[in-house]
Amino acid sequence: MLADFFAGWAFAYLGMLALCQGLERHYKQLWHKVPPVSLRHSLRAAGWLSLGLSLYFCVQAWGWAMGPVGWFGMLSLSGFGLLMLLPYRPRLAVWLPLGFAPVWAMITTLT
Amino acid sequence: MKQTLTQSMAWLHTWGGLVVGWLLFVIFLTGSLAVFDQEIDNWMHPELPAHHLSNEQAVDTALNYLRAHKPDAKQWGISLPYERSPELQASTGGRRDGVSVTLDPATGEVLPVRETVGGRFFFLFHFTLHMPGLLGIYLVGALAMGMLAALVSGIVIHKKFFKEFFTFRPAKGQRSWLDAHNASAVLLLPFHLMITYSGLAIFLVIYMPAAMDALFDGNREAFFKAQDPAPAVLEIERPQAAGPAPLVAVGPLLAKAREVMGPLSGVNITNPGQSNAQIQIRPILGNRIALTKGQGMRFDGVTGEQLSGPTEMRSTVLTHRVISGLHFAQFGGYPMRWLYFVCGLISSAMIASGLVLFTVKRRRKYASESRAGQVFYRLVEAINVTVMAGLSLACIGLLWGNHLLPVALKERADAELNVFFGVWALSLVHALLRPRMQAWREQLGLAGLMCLGLPLLSMFTVDRPWALHSRTGVELTALVLGTMLLWACWKVSQPVVERVPRKKTAAMVEVN
Repeated sequence: MLADFFAGWAFAYLGMLALCQGLERHYKQLWHKVPPVSLRHSLRAAGWLSLGLSLYFCVQAWGWAMGPVGWFGMLSLSGFGLLMLLPYRPRLAVWLPLGFAPVWAMITTLT
Repeated sequence: MKQTLTQSMAWLHTWGGLVVGWLLFVIFLTGSLAVFDQEIDNWMHPELPAHHLSNEQAVDTALNYLRAHKPDAKQWGISLPYERSPELQASTGGRRDGVSVTLDPATGEVLPVRETVGGRFFFLFHFTLHMPGLLGIYLVGALAMGMLAALVSGIVIHKKFFKEFFTFRPAKGQRSWLDAHNASAVLLLPFHLMITYSGLAIFLVIYMPAAMDALFDGNREAFFKAQDPAPAVLEIERPQAAGPAPLVAVGPLLAKAREVMGPLSGVNITNPGQSNAQIQIRPILGNRIALTKGQGMRFDGVTGEQLSGPTEMRSTVLTHRVISGLHFAQFGGYPMRWLYFVCGLISSAMIASGLVLFTVKRRRKYASESRAGQVFYRLVEAINVTVMAGLSLACIGLLWGNHLLPVALKERADAELNVFFGVWALSLVHALLRPRMQAWREQLGLAGLMCLGLPLLSMFTVDRPWALHSRTGVELTALVLGTMLLWACWKVSQPVVERVPRKKTAAMVEVN
């Protein structure tokens, strides 16, 4: 249950991050070069896929009636978190998802 | 002069936003606090002990008390402890004239708890603004319409909706305020629209009474009666004549009700000890999205036979209840509550950034304004301080008042309210007297310190401050919010960044 909440949020963040990096302005902000078009497209596709996975986990956690409501909240808050992180700690914003897997594993084993 | 659509929308957004923004901030902030109304209520009742009574044990405790002390009452009510509240209450009388007492779960006797406005105050205040009668509800409705207008006009005038979806450029004065305002509005747009619209829809009968007037001659009772579907299949006609008869064991009924409806919130018994006794069992509100106020199962009080089940709502009623339920946020447990709370706080911040933006944009032009103009902007600045920093101060002041006022004080709840409104009024006086930035700094700082001091206050004024998780949670949350307020205070104290020439800005972006 708790692991599902976390996974829902983590995939929402990952999706938002990918969509954000799919925008030229933010890709340049981090890597100081223009992203190739193919990379931008795949980032966007990956972003939407990840948001879809987030919905799946929200539904796992809350059920079909409440899941979508929680999903919208997760999308907004993960996007807002990313927004606040980007200008101050841009590298952290990108590498943060690497920490998700261990946290998720920890929650699953503990609960 | 003819204006473009964007220009007229910008005018509407600026001035309409200013007019409704102040009270909307008040509504959104207290509404966000109301998400945790029960937890704050537990904090404001530090006498309530932690316990692990099951529903059955709690009902037994309450029934023993009622049998011993109120055997002749026509109506017994028991409000059960549940996940969010440890309070066990027993009451007699109807909904209006009822008298209720809190029971000690260990001894079953009356537990003296302090009189307080309780966490419910934030809930009531966010849609009545403490105004008499329906006045507040009408005003809040008008403000919600204003919020919708501001949202729509805001979307129209936002030129780079998707391009600046994730854009926030801090430490650039007006630019940063606009970025923060835009991004928090856009990223949380689903929440803004949902919470505003559903808030309006809750009171649809009050705001749009025409249909009720036409169909039911304005008779509200008849209207609400018609919302119930045809009498439930299980409805059974029972003899009216009554004699003494023992009450059926409630335990098995509780188990049955829990199986059908989920966690329970209370039990009502009409005519206890009579042959026509009836038992009604109610679920807590959060078992589904739709608001289930007034729903429940009824049982014969002597035989234990089920008289009516949780009725299926008509689809029109269900629609309304689901929309209302989305606003009440009782469903989905604590994770959902946190989502609503944080979203609500960010919404408040979004409104706040808009209000600040109004003044930041005009500050450079103040000097060239006429005398009346200068007075107007001075007033706007002062009200901004009072509404944002002052309200935070008043809210935390209410909690301090709850612990510091003598427990035996007469009309203590009113005294607490006097603290709340007194602090708020003082903050207005302070904001009018002090220079703008000092006013911000001092009020934000004081509010932050009072938030951080909350655990200390509990430690010195309450016997077992952290007996309940919810109380600890309130204080931890206050610590986090207090830190943020102090951070805001520190930010305000920083010297104002002068506008950097354009070229240099571009260079800085490159470096970042």
